[in-house]
Amino acid sequence: MAGRGKLIAVIGDEDTCTGFLLGGVGELNKNRKPNFLVVEKDTSIAEIEETFKSFLARNDIGIILINQFIAEMIRHAIDAHMQSIPAVLEIPSKEHPYDASKDSILRRAKGMFSADDFR
Amino acid sequence: MGVSELEESSLLFDEKLLRFMDQLELLEEKRATLNSLIEQGWFSMSKARYSMGNKQVSALQYASEIEPMVFVHARTLDSGEVDFCTERVPPNRESGKDVRSIENIGPQDEGVRRRNKPKNNTTEKEANVQTGDDKAPEVSSVKKSDTNSQQDPLKWFGILVPQSLKQAQSSFKQVIDLSAEIATLQTSVLNIRQELKNSMKDKLTLQEKASGAKLDKAAD
Repeated sequence: MAGRGKLIAVIGDEDTCTGFLLGGVGELNKNRKPNFLVVEKDTSIAEIEETFKSFLARNDIGIILINQFIAEMIRHAIDAHMQSIPAVLEIPSKEHPYDASKDSILRRAKGMFSADDFR
Repeated sequence: MGVSELEESSLLFDEKLLRFMDQLELLEEKRATLNSLIEQGWFSMSKARYSMGNKQVSALQYASEIEPMVFVHARTLDSGEVDFCTERVPPNRESGKDVRSIENIGPQDEGVRRRNKPKNNTTEKEANVQTGDDKAPEVSSVKKSDTNSQQDPLKWFGILVPQSLKQAQSSFKQVIDLSAEIATLQTSVLNIRQELKNSMKDKLTLQEKASGAKLDKAAD
């Protein structure tokens, strides 16, 4: 376990999760806890947020990939995460193309020249 | 003295700003590649679903035991940036056997055996027993492969999967590698941004000092 690297977690729609699991990122640990969440129509925002927070709390996760439209639902939780590890990456989904203006990281970078930064 | 210090800090600030812009540009480029690779992956997956049936390649087919085949190594650099790099677990020898056993089993073998059925009843029975015996080790090898921790996720969706699903897998593998690079760039961008904020503050204080000194001189 010590020499092993960290995992990549995925929160996304079925096709996104299937794709990344095909790529080999999936894990079901000893407690049968997966490192992915397939978000369906009936998945509640509370469940998504709880899963996201549980991924943040796990120290064996290095990157969290999340569909941007799902990230929009829990934007406050993503904005509140300031640590470098795990890194949160917003990715497009089939129905929702990637919009850089919504990305938490790029919005933070864009805010560089705001007046607040120089106070 | 104050002016040269101000110039120095301005140069440093410009340097950082240029680095910041470069990183942002690189991030945007990689993002575009990532998006197109994901799209390609979905397209291949849809093609696979078209040939396998629309209920195939779904979350219901995920294995009950899933072991990761990709790991990320996060290394914190002196500058505070984090470097993410992926490491793929090489397929072990069991998985090599696994592939061969999967190639051996399949409807073709069984079909050939059935076509060569002998006419004699007793020999037919013997033949059946023999085929059963022949099949037994193959079945057990497949079972062994199920317990094997490093199972290729492709096999969750069938023994003989279409080429398009393999293409989807390779696209997503590339996406995974690229996402580690993007994560590195993101932390780097945020880090430089923080540095820029600090240098901007320093520059402002130096400017204030310089203008204060000028005013003092003018008053004298």
